Amino acid sequence: MQRQIPLMLCLVFGVFMIIQFFIPHPISTTAYEIVLRWVRIIAIFALVLGVGSLTMHHSNKIKRKVKGWQFSIITLIAAVITALVGLLGMNVVDGRLIFFAGIGRTSLLQTFFQNFYIPVNSTMFAMLAFYMASAAYRAFRARTKEATLLLIAAFFVMLGMVPIGSAISPRLPEFAEWILSVPNLAAKRGIMFGIALGAIATSLKIILGIERGWLGGGK
Amino acid sequence: MKIFQALAKIDRKIIFAILAVVIIVPLIKPLGIISRASNRAEAVFNAVDAIPPGKSLMISIDFDPGSQAELYPMLNAILRHAFAKDVKVILLGLWLTGMGLGEEALSITSQEYNKVYGEDYVFLGWRSGVLPVILGMGEDIKRTFPTDYYGQSLNDLPMMNDIRNYRDIPFFITLSAGDPGMNTWIAYAQSRYGLKMGAGTTAVSAADAYPFLQTGQLTGLLGGMKGASEYEFLVREKGYSQALTPASQAMDSQSLAHLLILILIVLGNIGFFFIRKTTAFKGEK
Amino acid sequence: MTLASSIWIWVGVFLTFCIFSFLYKDNPFYKFAEHLFVGVSVGYSISISYHNVLHPDLIVPLFKHGELLNIIPLIFGLCYFARFIPKVSWLVRLPMGLVLGFGAGAAIPAVLQANIIRQVQGAVLTPEIFQGWNFFVWALISLIGVICTVIYFYFSKERKKSTKFAAEIGIIFLMIGFGASFGYTVMARISLLIGRFQFLLRDWLGIIQ
Repeated sequence: MQRQIPLMLCLVFGVFMIIQFFIPHPISTTAYEIVLRWVRIIAIFALVLGVGSLTMHHSNKIKRKVKGWQFSIITLIAAVITALVGLLGMNVVDGRLIFFAGIGRTSLLQTFFQNFYIPVNSTMFAMLAFYMASAAYRAFRARTKEATLLLIAAFFVMLGMVPIGSAISPRLPEFAEWILSVPNLAAKRGIMFGIALGAIATSLKIILGIERGWLGGGK
Repeated sequence: MKIFQALAKIDRKIIFAILAVVIIVPLIKPLGIISRASNRAEAVFNAVDAIPPGKSLMISIDFDPGSQAELYPMLNAILRHAFAKDVKVILLGLWLTGMGLGEEALSITSQEYNKVYGEDYVFLGWRSGVLPVILGMGEDIKRTFPTDYYGQSLNDLPMMNDIRNYRDIPFFITLSAGDPGMNTWIAYAQSRYGLKMGAGTTAVSAADAYPFLQTGQLTGLLGGMKGASEYEFLVREKGYSQALTPASQAMDSQSLAHLLILILIVLGNIGFFFIRKTTAFKGEK
Repeated sequence: MTLASSIWIWVGVFLTFCIFSFLYKDNPFYKFAEHLFVGVSVGYSISISYHNVLHPDLIVPLFKHGELLNIIPLIFGLCYFARFIPKVSWLVRLPMGLVLGFGAGAAIPAVLQANIIRQVQGAVLTPEIFQGWNFFVWALISLIGVICTVIYFYFSKERKKSTKFAAEIGIIFLMIGFGASFGYTVMARISLLIGRFQFLLRDWLGIIQ
């Protein structure tokens, strides 16, 4: 029962979604809208679960005094304060703090997002440019024919897709565009076929209960 | 020989410093390299331009601050274009952590054009689940988003009176930094409901969009910060906005940084081949 | 040059430098910013989830409008937490089964239509190919490229002469495709760095507009 019911649910909802796609009858459309609503609600619990797991992970680190546990305190304090600021709808209007005023442009949540979240998140990704420049110098070698082809294509795309490319020669952007819309398109379409067929096969295996990895261990 | 050996030993921190200089200097002293719009960007621009005043453009924020530099200028430029043309805007997002960016963009651009919330634009916010959100809006937007980002019922927003589902949306743009994003919208909204759509993507995924452009599943493409600069250029050229154009401002730095990377690759390879040749020669002896 | 007067800009600048300090080496400033980010991210997600989903989609319909049908997804959702109770941990499979079945069922027709049928049409039937000889040639090259790439990914049978040759052609197309993606990736990373420098030079130092 512990495996059969989940498998049955998977089969029923999978088959329903396929049938609904091909037969959009008013009855199936109503059921479809209900299912969409249910899945939306269920999905939010998965997110709550993720948040719970992360909180437990950091709490355990603090309890066990694992190396760097002090930083976990920062994480937990930041999480609690930000959540409170958001849930209580704290806003600063004309220098006054008011509660239950939503999460709009005057909210503290938006201020936290703009001044804590954005700088860190965007700098983390921006930093990769430095490592890429260093790797470009040390690692990108034309060791084989294939690697040479890759580098040549990259060379033209890098030069052709920025304004200096057209300043050097108007032919450069044209050639870069050709690379992108002929050989690149062919490669990406071939890869897409592979991924799509794989996705369909896996989906079918899940619906039919052949792929059961998601059930995990146990009975 | 010594030169190549010395080159091979350049400390990476020196490379970091050179890259920083190459980017910062053109921002302060622009070189003025002329940037033009590509056909792909013009296609997106024309599709937005063709929306009759009073009809709605839908935009999805499928990115977070990690891709802000590339996609946020696109969002601002598109919003300015739509507001200047009196096209109504429905903004939503599949990425929870992009909501703050949507809020910020709307608060800036709506003030520039004196647009009224609920009449000229609506911010639907975020809903969990991705597929039920995209598929649900194909049936009924108000049932998928009973309330907007601020918790207001959509029934109370006059702009939403005439809008039921994708059939009432003449054009849609996804600003996509990955998954969920462009591919998801194409598979579930474009294919199933025939939603006419364009995409603004990070440069990383721009090359993946070409098969969809060729089949017409995508009307046009804004690829990375260059794509954003092209849209900014078009919006400014047509006189829709005189606001700052951060992506266009960045193009000189972008050009020089690309040149630097190319020089680094070439230098690295010359050193590699030279050292390999000499080592092989010594080995033969 | 006019330095920013807002304290929040200075906070943003401090955090930006905390992260950049990793370029030198891992250090407590970086760790501080990283952990602060995770915490704010969790709190932000909780807040948006509550205001945008839990409140309007579950609490209001169920407790204010009495739409009892919403109890079903609520029960399914709560089953996720069964994983913390060993005796009933299998209950977590219920919402997973439902969501997986839903996703798989939705994906099959959608992927088939968007990524296979439309793409096959695009590979062989495009009105553009009649616009001129070059369009025809490019479409033909593209078609050959698609077929060879697919053959390259076919591993179920040993490659003989013709398929081996086709797979080798496939590699050429793949390498050009990867090269194009690589070129674009360089562009992306540089753009993000420019974005941060714009913040420092414009919002903080006031050197640029």
